[in-house]
Amino acid sequence: MATTEFSSINTLQSNGKYAVEVHNAYIYYGTFRAVNNVSLKIERQRITAFIGPSGCGKSTVLRAINRMNDLIPGSRFEGKILFHGKNIYDPDVDPVEVRRRIGMVFQKPNPFPKSIYENIMFGPRINGWRGTKQQADELVERALRGAAIWDEVKDKLHQPGTALSGGQQQRLCIARALAVQPEVILMDEPCSSLDPISTLKIEELMFELRQNYTIVIVTHNMQQAARVSDYTAFFLMNESRAGELIEYGPTTQIFQNPQDERTENYISGRFG
Amino acid sequence: MSAQSLDQRDRPTGYLPEGADINRNIAVRRLRGAIWHAIFVSSLIIGLLALATLIYTIVNDTFGYIAVQTKVDPEELTGGRPLEELSKEELIEILRANVSAGLFRRFDRDEPFSERSRESVLQLVEERVVGREVVAVYKLTESLLERERIEATVRERFPRAKLEFHSWLNRDFLTRPMSSVPILAGVGNAILGSLWVIAITMLLAIPIGILGGVYLEEYASDTWYYRLIETNINNLAGVPSIIYGILGLAVFVRAFESFTSGAMFGVTDSNGRTILSAGLTMALLVLPLMIINAREAIRAVPQSIRQASYGLGATKWQTVWHHVLPNALPGILTGTILSVSRAMGETAPLIVIGASTFIVFFPDSVFDKFTVIPIQIYNWTSQPGAQFRSIAAAAIIVLLVTLLALNATAILLRNRLRRSY
Amino acid sequence: MEQEARVAVERSTPLSISPINLRGKPRFGENVIEIIVFVCGAISIFTTTAIVIVLFQEAWLFFGSPEVDLAEFFGTTTWQPETGRFGIWPLMTSTLITSIIALIVAVPLGLGAAIYLSEYASPQARGYLKPILEVLAGVPTVVYGYFALTFVTPVILQGLLGKENVEIYNMLSAGLTMGIMILPLVASMSEDALSAVPRALREGAYGLGATRLETSLRIVVPAAMSGILAAVIVAMSRAVGETMIVALAAGAGPRFTFNPLQAAETMTGHIARISGGDISYASIQYTSIFAIALVLFFMTLLLNLLSGWVASRFREVYE
Repeated sequence: MATTEFSSINTLQSNGKYAVEVHNAYIYYGTFRAVNNVSLKIERQRITAFIGPSGCGKSTVLRAINRMNDLIPGSRFEGKILFHGKNIYDPDVDPVEVRRRIGMVFQKPNPFPKSIYENIMFGPRINGWRGTKQQADELVERALRGAAIWDEVKDKLHQPGTALSGGQQQRLCIARALAVQPEVILMDEPCSSLDPISTLKIEELMFELRQNYTIVIVTHNMQQAARVSDYTAFFLMNESRAGELIEYGPTTQIFQNPQDERTENYISGRFG
Repeated sequence: MSAQSLDQRDRPTGYLPEGADINRNIAVRRLRGAIWHAIFVSSLIIGLLALATLIYTIVNDTFGYIAVQTKVDPEELTGGRPLEELSKEELIEILRANVSAGLFRRFDRDEPFSERSRESVLQLVEERVVGREVVAVYKLTESLLERERIEATVRERFPRAKLEFHSWLNRDFLTRPMSSVPILAGVGNAILGSLWVIAITMLLAIPIGILGGVYLEEYASDTWYYRLIETNINNLAGVPSIIYGILGLAVFVRAFESFTSGAMFGVTDSNGRTILSAGLTMALLVLPLMIINAREAIRAVPQSIRQASYGLGATKWQTVWHHVLPNALPGILTGTILSVSRAMGETAPLIVIGASTFIVFFPDSVFDKFTVIPIQIYNWTSQPGAQFRSIAAAAIIVLLVTLLALNATAILLRNRLRRSY
Repeated sequence: MEQEARVAVERSTPLSISPINLRGKPRFGENVIEIIVFVCGAISIFTTTAIVIVLFQEAWLFFGSPEVDLAEFFGTTTWQPETGRFGIWPLMTSTLITSIIALIVAVPLGLGAAIYLSEYASPQARGYLKPILEVLAGVPTVVYGYFALTFVTPVILQGLLGKENVEIYNMLSAGLTMGIMILPLVASMSEDALSAVPRALREGAYGLGATRLETSLRIVVPAAMSGILAAVIVAMSRAVGETMIVALAAGAGPRFTFNPLQAAETMTGHIARISGGDISYASIQYTSIFAIALVLFFMTLLLNLLSGWVASRFREVYE
């Protein structure tokens, strides 16, 4: 748990080109190996997409980055994930530390059954935020602006978050994640339950967020990955149903000039 | 994000801990979490502790040393043979020889000797002739830990008494009827009374409950009276049991007295406070539970089974009788067992209806006065004296073991049922 | 030949052309059965109607008799049938005090246990802890009454407060024991409410860096609040209607007091005591039971309806 000498992920000093480095990740659920030896480096302030057919470990790897897999009983991680050079799976790192720095947006929007205001303020408050009411209001506004939803909800901040439409709820969840000032935002198929117009809005939002945050997105939608991301990682299930990283590189290369035959087959729609 | 200064109190959006403060913050939160975790666990433990204490108290009262003395040595009466070996006729003879004629006639009037069980006569002999009485009672923990002190006290204060380790819960206790002398008392007639009452209760509640559930799930459409019935049943499930007792008192004991007392069938010497009234009242009490449970069991039967049956041209009743009910049977059975265990433990309504607290005969018709195990527990608990507490505890063990067996069966059935789906 | 052909034609005729009675006269039987099952379902209406009629009828007689005055019934604090004083408040305060004590015990402990079971315990632990709680719930109330009288009162008497301060029958023992009896009910209903909160909400909280405590107390419990409140109200209703524990341990005489260490009979205890004795059907004692029962019935009915209303009105819309 927390040590007297603070673990280096708590420094704000960003160093190096890569926000997150995954080294030889093996992930198990009980005795079943779900992910087999995945290694990749996520570049800072870029959008990286994980693509591949369902069940090939993309979400599992994503959730390993902010240690959300810890919540599943029986799950086990082997390997290293470096954040600011420190392995987040070291015993002296508390997952709570990790998750404040590496935020997550889920597949189905999950706003808390509280007011929009309280949804935003929940994260900062539990992480020890202190300030005046005015500062809180300011924080809420900035987070909602950051998620491009401020204008739509500024008059109804005290209405429940669950009263918004699906697309708005998802942007609220993004704002909620922004409020704790993460460096990395993980998105697990954020648009799969949304209509095309909301999806478009969120894709535009991602471009804006890219300036200040590192984004990793899992998506089933290849066109979305091609539109939105700078780097793409293609995953596939091997014979023992474990997910593997087949190819990883700049998006333009993956989609126009894939090196691996399996990547090319997936891209051109021959399976998946 | 670029590096930011550590002094952020002036930041427009307030202050989130940074650097080493984060570790401190997390440490504090983890500590708070650990404290509350302990509090939550303690809540659970307190509940379990209460259960353990309850069991301890009961067991403590049921076993222990007693100091017994008798007015007359039983061996003298029987010429050397222990009392237990005598036949019923021999016991009757001893009784006749040793009590006054008037008393003997009274015993015969209460319940004719020809109809009494052997235990019942033995009980009378022990009470009236032998004069067996307990002069001191000790709890189990005392008996185990303070033996010498007890022996010394008894020797000093009750020189004629014998100190023996006694289990108030024994075979005699289960077979004998009530007695005003605790050492001689038993729950025999209470057990039978419970069985009689429950038999009547379930005879009515099972069919009506199942058919009621069938109505609500299979036949009824969403009309105002359907919703009324549904709300009604849910409300009835929450009505205090004593109100059912009051209902039973006014309707079955009083208004229907000629029926429940058996007068209309020719029975002359009873009133409405009979096993029949008790059974009817408990049936009403248990009915909402049976219906709710039957509904759930019926609802759990997959639609595909019904559709297959209708598709073959079966009528609704045929579908219900041949397909829905057999499939819902395990769930209904579970609910029946739970209703039985609920009915066995109820006391308040039966007090109101007028359960007898002191009857010595075993029931043999539905028009008899009745007593049940919980009533005996209530009766004995409210009497002062350690001996009454002991037999109350013994009766509680009888009741709890029965209920435990019933509930365990219900849970096993429920698990078996879940697996098959 | 012709006959054979005819037979062949008949055999090949589908059954559905003519409605064939498979089992006698199912149509008529179906109607009868429909009536039978309806009656079975509707018997509950008979029960409720009977309860209402019976209570009102006898209570009417009670309030109509010369010694009784409605204002006195609800206004005064002495219940002494021998002297013709019929004020319900002694019985009512005893009922309320014992019930509130029971809630003070049952709600925090039950909720704590529920939170532990729902948010902290492993599935195996839950697997054997929940049945144990159900066992606690299945213990007949008369056994709890015994427990109150033979353990709780002596332990409170000698253990904590001293014999002089605590009467043998007192409201505190009865209240505490009722609390233990109701605890499994609160725990069980609360745990159902907590488990019904979708996993996604918890994940959202964890994703923001919340600890398990923060997620449980700040997200899950508030989300389940309607169910928890409903559980508390149902628990109150159970406590109010409970008879055996208070009959054995709370006292056998109406007394208007707020001191829980004293004996005071509750409404239910009074009904049990009076009806357990010899009373004639025409006496005012007899009708007085019904008046008290009427009040009791309304109290529990209101609480039950309130519980249902709270559960549905404030149910959180999670999506």
